[in-house]
Amino acid sequence: MRIATANETYLADEALLRTRTQWAWLGLFALVLVAAPFVLNNYWLYLACLVAINVASATGLNILTGYTGLVSLGQGAFMAVGAYTVAWLSQKTGMPFLVNILAGGLVAAFVGILVGIPSLRVKGLYLAIATIGASIILQFVFLNWSSVTGGARGLAVRPANFFGTSLTTYFQLYWAFVPITVLMVVGAANLFRTRIGRAFIAIRDRDISAEVLGIPLLRYKLMSFAVSSFYAGVAGGMWAYFFRAVGPESFTIVESIFFLAAIIVGGMGSILGGIVGATFMTLVPEILRFGVELASPYVSNAGALLSPIRTIAFGALIMLFLVFEPQGIAEIIQRVRRFFHLWPFKT
Amino acid sequence: MKSGITKRIFMALAASSALFAAQPAFAQGDDEIVIGGSIPLTGVFAFAGVAIEAGIQDYLKIVNEEGGIDGRQVRLAYEDTGYQVDQSVAVFNKLTSQNPNIRLYYGDSTGFSRTINPELERRGDIMMAGASFATEINDPENFSNQFIAGPDYTEMYSILLEYIAQETPGAKLVFVNSDTEFGRDPIESSTARAQELGLEVVEQIITPPGAVDVSTEVLKLRRAQPDYTIFHGYVLAPLPEFMTQAKQLGLETKFMGTFWSMDSSLWADVGDAADGFMGVMPYRYYYDEEEAPMLERIRQMRPDYQATGYMQGFLTAMLMTESVKRTLEAGEELTADNMKKALNSIEDFDTGGIVGVPISVPGNTVPVGRIYQYDAAEQRMEAVSDWINVQE
Repeated sequence: MRIATANETYLADEALLRTRTQWAWLGLFALVLVAAPFVLNNYWLYLACLVAINVASATGLNILTGYTGLVSLGQGAFMAVGAYTVAWLSQKTGMPFLVNILAGGLVAAFVGILVGIPSLRVKGLYLAIATIGASIILQFVFLNWSSVTGGARGLAVRPANFFGTSLTTYFQLYWAFVPITVLMVVGAANLFRTRIGRAFIAIRDRDISAEVLGIPLLRYKLMSFAVSSFYAGVAGGMWAYFFRAVGPESFTIVESIFFLAAIIVGGMGSILGGIVGATFMTLVPEILRFGVELASPYVSNAGALLSPIRTIAFGALIMLFLVFEPQGIAEIIQRVRRFFHLWPFKT
Repeated sequence: MKSGITKRIFMALAASSALFAAQPAFAQGDDEIVIGGSIPLTGVFAFAGVAIEAGIQDYLKIVNEEGGIDGRQVRLAYEDTGYQVDQSVAVFNKLTSQNPNIRLYYGDSTGFSRTINPELERRGDIMMAGASFATEINDPENFSNQFIAGPDYTEMYSILLEYIAQETPGAKLVFVNSDTEFGRDPIESSTARAQELGLEVVEQIITPPGAVDVSTEVLKLRRAQPDYTIFHGYVLAPLPEFMTQAKQLGLETKFMGTFWSMDSSLWADVGDAADGFMGVMPYRYYYDEEEAPMLERIRQMRPDYQATGYMQGFLTAMLMTESVKRTLEAGEELTADNMKKALNSIEDFDTGGIVGVPISVPGNTVPVGRIYQYDAAEQRMEAVSDWINVQE
């Protein structure tokens, strides 16, 4: 409990940011986000864009799995729906990229509602298997509906167009993706201050009790699937503009496992958890590359010899974080915050 | 208390090692020429990546020992991709950010070749080749900065089909392809080519990725009774199972494959079932006994068998450096356009026996190959045809 933060209004009590310190940190973070593209080289800008895409998708999965308690291994497939929609629209229409991305999100949301129907009867691991089943069906559609999806070869994506300017460099794409992701994360954070968000949490905590309280499970579970898939679809749309090629092998079950792992490592049921989890899963394998690079003067053929160790180290890091902090990296951050809240008193 | 200290120590270690590791390292000479590489050293394609890296490094060693290109040393800067497109792109961006001298690049997959193509076009200073033999890349207009150091998959099929048309005119064929982009690549174009050569494709079998039980597909093969069965889109599995079951059913069909199924070390563990497997190979094998000074040199450098991926990497490096050499000799800048023009000027080029005939690069490929057949007793691939050129 933070000391000396008494609120005098309900509005202040419900605010996302309640103290000057929080505002200061957020301001600093916003400054970093604005300054980053002017400081980072192409490689780090690429990673920053990839982190933005993954954070958007992980936040969506966190709404479904972390906040509503519906385990899904279909996030990759929903991203694919968004990516294919954007690819198709970019080829067939001249619509602005923001409209295409929005359309990608909406189509994915619709597919998400269909996939979510089994969630009314099954949950937990059974639902996870049901979402894998849906992914397999979608994969089949991507591969065989050649007139729309381009079949095995997939679709090329025209560059995102913003008022006549083609967004082709990572610097340009950063300014498109980061604001979208920020908007989505803020939207997700606000969602849980509303009746809908609280209904999701009630369903997660005990669905029968939620129903007794008057929460229609059908409507809210499907809504959660729709919102989560919308996030995935938008992330998939950004992915399509980022990599400029979408194929049936772009989004496999491994992608879905990646996002589930991201929110577990980051912290389920926490907006911060989705952000740090996706960032961790995206950046750590890359940061470990520098370990291999540092060893190269001392080990002959370090690239070939140490690369497998890098993969093992990444896996081990995930395991260690889960062992030492099962509630995710977000909990570690919260613990650090609590330490400073009470400082100089002992926690 | 104890667990708190442990957590803190763990966190401190994790954070400090991450910060330490994030310090970039730069090491390069000003006038050296750098070949960048997104190479799979882990993951499903690692077997090829390790061999490719060795092949490139060995050829560069030979070039550098002979004084480099126009006095400039050539270096390979590469990193592991795990055979994942996003990592391949990350490696591309990392290496190009760290090494401004990268003028050539080796990519690891069709997905990467396609994804990075707009960036290559935008930059205009890097020419790329890679592990992909996708037909799609053999398009000098849309993939103007890329090439394949061998025939594309459609051309590989053409080489197989020309051999079949010569050996068994009017033969019946079955195509067996994996249900992947890799597997489906040459089906349509090769079916048309088979018809042109008077061959009949009596069945097309598509197997799911990672299929193990192939008994249903073998029954289709039994019904079709083909003279030749051509596999594509696989490395090894499920080919041995297919061949074993077909032999048990007494089928007389001859089994064939394309480049990535043609490494003899892959077949060594399969045993007798592998005997007689044939396929197209764009390069000589490490142990080929025909006169080949470059193979002799490779055998001196590496006394042990080197896989087919090694030869692919070796020839890719040879063509890349030859292009650079020709560009510099012409007094031109090392841009992708100039290097590609130099590459396309390669005509009747002697590879020192890596390929058994002088080669040309008329477009984005080297459309030459040869049919080899596996001899299980010798554990070797033996040539059963002359070199076949399918240049149109």
